[in-house]
Amino acid sequence: MKFRALMQDPLYMREFQSIIATLAKLAKDCLMILEDQKIHFIVNEEHSSTASPLVWTSIASQDYFPEYLCEPARAEHGYIVLQMSAAHLSRSLAVLRMNNVNNCKMKLQRIQFPCISVIASVVSATSCEPREVVHDVPATIVPFKEWPPYLVPRVPSSQLVLNIPSLRLMRSLIEKLKNISPSLVFHASSAGELNLVAESEMATITTRFKRLLQSILVADQNGPQEASCSVDTRKASAFFGALQLPNEELIIGIDPDHSIHLQMDIRENVVLHSILPAVSV
Amino acid sequence: MLTQSQYPDYKFVCRINHIKTFHAAIKSICFSDFGTFLISEDGMRITVDQAKSIQATVYMVPSFFEEFYVQDLQSFGIKVNVLAECLSLYGLADCGVKLLYKGDGAPLMILLDPHDDEDLSTECAIKTMNVDEPMEYELDVNSSTLNTLFIRGPDLSNIFHELDKAAEEFEFTISPRSPHFKITTLGVIQSESSVEVAKTSDMMLMFNCQSTTVARYKSQQIRMTNKSLQVATKVAIKTDSSGLLELHFMLQAENQEDIYVQFFVTPLLDIE
Repeated sequence: MKFRALMQDPLYMREFQSIIATLAKLAKDCLMILEDQKIHFIVNEEHSSTASPLVWTSIASQDYFPEYLCEPARAEHGYIVLQMSAAHLSRSLAVLRMNNVNNCKMKLQRIQFPCISVIASVVSATSCEPREVVHDVPATIVPFKEWPPYLVPRVPSSQLVLNIPSLRLMRSLIEKLKNISPSLVFHASSAGELNLVAESEMATITTRFKRLLQSILVADQNGPQEASCSVDTRKASAFFGALQLPNEELIIGIDPDHSIHLQMDIRENVVLHSILPAVSV
Repeated sequence: MLTQSQYPDYKFVCRINHIKTFHAAIKSICFSDFGTFLISEDGMRITVDQAKSIQATVYMVPSFFEEFYVQDLQSFGIKVNVLAECLSLYGLADCGVKLLYKGDGAPLMILLDPHDDEDLSTECAIKTMNVDEPMEYELDVNSSTLNTLFIRGPDLSNIFHELDKAAEEFEFTISPRSPHFKITTLGVIQSESSVEVAKTSDMMLMFNCQSTTVARYKSQQIRMTNKSLQVATKVAIKTDSSGLLELHFMLQAENQEDIYVQFFVTPLLDIE
């Protein structure tokens, strides 16, 4: 079993750090699933407080990592599945926020226990010799027979998918709605309108986003459509509150009365997903 | 000003272009659950009181609003913290706000429109209740013992900030002779501290006092005025021989009329 990856581009390194920091805000533990062309990170609902939603991110190795090697214990399995503390991993990457990092290596190693070693080569202001910052993040290797619950989630098929161009106001809005109502209804129409409805004993609050673009993939010719789904406001707020990325665009897919799928395209082939399950009001 | 025909269904409609000061004023009176709206052609009043010993009223004149229309006299009760919560939905982003009310039993509608995103709008419907009219406190304007002074808001705020936080009672002394204005704090273990402001001080904008008045108040109640004090530009302090304290805060809004927040605090009776 072997895994090795190298990052060199400062932009990618900072972005990678932000992705992991986002996950660390959501849950204690995260899963790292390594395969030939991709790295996935998953924070599961079961592994976290009930307020956090299921969030996962997939990073294509090709552009991100100039050197990338993943050899599972048995080639036919195709994956390496690791479990580790999201906070530890995030802390080990904190150094990548600086501008003086040459490169960063990640390696699966066995010291006394299996761990992911994060080795950052940093240039000090006072010396021309780079120094190495090494963190060994303990990881648990999940054996093959226990894999089924740990598979990378599938993107649910949504009936209606809308693009949100700016998250700035939505984020603070959902944070505030958390104090008003435990459940939040997302109601979208193919005319490009998204309504967020929060209802409490004392007040009903409806926020309307207009002129949103419908995603081309799902845009159907079946005439005007509507879809709505009610979700846990705390889960929605936890997702938006955790985001550490500079990206402002979000795609919201609604599978009526079943779930809401949130997708953030960080860049080509680097995607963050979340699923908010429906709650009955 | 609007004519009735534009909003035939509504008994009350008003619009404010910048929410900031209005929100600050509402937030500053959220010490109790329920508030009473009283709207007439003279303006809008929102009154909150607690235990019949402290009362706060936010008051806005019709010219404060970009639009203001009311039919007869409208009054209803509302949960003020829910109102404050709704007004804060967009956080620091500036937005315009519109209030609409259809009359008895109908909810108060609040429409929020952020200025920097025209494709976004929020509509809040807050339940209203029938409530008794709030108690009326009044100082006798013609009384010979009525003392009035105007102080700059930020300066008074600093003074309150420096006072003993653990004190139980505050004593206000207003006197024509030195010390003209004195606040004494009385703590649990007889600890005392005091601040004196002379009438010649720069922070004193007006000082009108014929005879000395001394009265004590619960510090807890005085502290309830803190949030208003922090955003006030000017404060009027009025009292008379009965000891009833009226604090009148003026909140300056950009290019708008002032918003007034008025507090009445009843004195403690055990004055030696």
